[in-house]
Amino acid sequence: MKIKFWGVRGSIPCPGPNTMKYGGNGACMELRVDGRKEVIVIDAGSGVRELGTFLLKNDLPNGPLEVALYLSHTHWDHIMGFPYFVPIYIPGTRLKVHGPVSFEDDPLEDVVGGQMKYRYFPINVGELSANIQYERLAEESDRDLGGGLVLHTKFLNHPITALGYRFEYQGKVFCTCYDHEPYRNLFITDPDHPEYDEAMAYEGEQVAEEQNRAVEAFFRGADLLVHDSQYTDAEYQTKVDWGHSTFEHAIAAANRAGVKKLALFHHDPDRSDAQIDEMVKIYCQPGKYGDTEVFFATEGTEIVL
Amino acid sequence: MEKDSAAQRKQIERFIKRMPSLSTTVGKVMEICSRTDASPNELNKVISLDPVLTGQVLKLINSAYYSLMNKVTSLTRAITMLGMNTVKNMALSTAIISTVSGAKKSKTLPTAKFWAHSIGTGVCAKLLARANNVPVLECEEYFVAGLLHDLGKIPFGDEYSEVLIRANQEQRSLIEVEREMLGIDHQEVGRLIAEKWTLNEAMSSAICYHHDVDAAAEENRVRAAYVGLANMYANIQDIGYAGDPFPSEQSAAKMLELTGLTWEMFTEIAEGVDAEIAKAQIFLQI
Repeated sequence: MKIKFWGVRGSIPCPGPNTMKYGGNGACMELRVDGRKEVIVIDAGSGVRELGTFLLKNDLPNGPLEVALYLSHTHWDHIMGFPYFVPIYIPGTRLKVHGPVSFEDDPLEDVVGGQMKYRYFPINVGELSANIQYERLAEESDRDLGGGLVLHTKFLNHPITALGYRFEYQGKVFCTCYDHEPYRNLFITDPDHPEYDEAMAYEGEQVAEEQNRAVEAFFRGADLLVHDSQYTDAEYQTKVDWGHSTFEHAIAAANRAGVKKLALFHHDPDRSDAQIDEMVKIYCQPGKYGDTEVFFATEGTEIVL
Repeated sequence: MEKDSAAQRKQIERFIKRMPSLSTTVGKVMEICSRTDASPNELNKVISLDPVLTGQVLKLINSAYYSLMNKVTSLTRAITMLGMNTVKNMALSTAIISTVSGAKKSKTLPTAKFWAHSIGTGVCAKLLARANNVPVLECEEYFVAGLLHDLGKIPFGDEYSEVLIRANQEQRSLIEVEREMLGIDHQEVGRLIAEKWTLNEAMSSAICYHHDVDAAAEENRVRAAYVGLANMYANIQDIGYAGDPFPSEQSAAKMLELTGLTWEMFTEIAEGVDAEIAKAQIFLQI
């Protein structure tokens, strides 16, 4: 498997002199599997635009494009590149869009296509030339994608339904875990609080811990884990329940789960190259936090598993 | 074929007497859902007071999110895994609809269409309120008021089909024909149910006065007017079916004046209405 980062930012694209090194585009990855014509794309943040251009040059000459897009969730920073993904305008392209929707939301097609209305964009989603199919995904194990590629999905903790993806191929594992914040006990734990309920506090704690263990089990043994790490522990104090993780959490969890390589991902748009360089010195020292090799995801880089 | 109105009323009163009570849980769930500062503890406690509701909410959550796997086995778990909002919304709609739909008797108004109309009115009332800058915390109550506004039609028996036919043929408002043929209208029947369920005044007013907003107490008049307009919109747009395709134009003008809404605002919410209704449909499958 070969993974390429086309966008590594969270929240909003932030191109400019301060983000040239690690990149300013929003979340997008390309996954290639040996012998597979289909290109797997994870998320359609702004980075998907350049991936589209690349596919036209690299893949289209060999025949119509086959693309499987897996959305981690439908927050705007993960779908905003979709209208600029040129293959959707090419007749013959076969695109399958997979992703979760929150239970009360519209169908995936409307959620993703909702941004392609005349008031937002000159082309309506109904006018696309490609053959596009949409599939709502929930939590699932052992989905056979054919050719020996297997997919597992897991609900994560984010303000809307978000999915982590685990691709397995010939003994290698590539896993995503974003946008995600560790589960926490939401119930009142102060025994002096008038609404305190011992059983609730206890169960809330147990479930949060159990879900955190389940997430770690989901990426256990991954050869590459791409994990949400928008904040430092210090920054997180004012961002609780925003749905994102810290570097410290991602690194500790990856080590506990025996992950081989951890890509810190979904960089905060305010994080400059200079700041990340400083953080590399703190968080990416070999062996400092365990055996997991830690690096900051960088736009344009490729990892072969 | 007009029935003696005293006999008619008696029959309806008998029906209402046999209707299930609205549990105190539902009232409390309604209250919690209308507050954004409600704590997870409060929400959990209120729902768990009613084991049937708890079961329904968990069933709905499992089927919506986990298909075949029954992963969510407790409310605490549901709230931790899926968040307050998801659980809150599911509980509210489950509570109300499951209480009320059990009571439907007459085949005159098919259940699914009747609830589609009710949901449509609720959604529309909420969106109109939102569009007109009603405080966000109150908007959910507009939904519930709209959802319940036609409760009074539930106890009508098979003779109601004649009322529907005449209102349609003569292009008159339904309420007028109800009074003429049955000697009682669905607002009045609604009042009897609201009293039985001890709904609060604001909610009762929407049920009792959505066709006669002037008769509502001043503090509840505007909300009743929102519900009345939402009801008209749902009727005109054929969202579900609860009769009344020819509402009174006179009362429409009055309600627009009261609420400060304009017809343009109806066009603006049109798209949102469809989306919200699609979301709410799943509750009809319970």
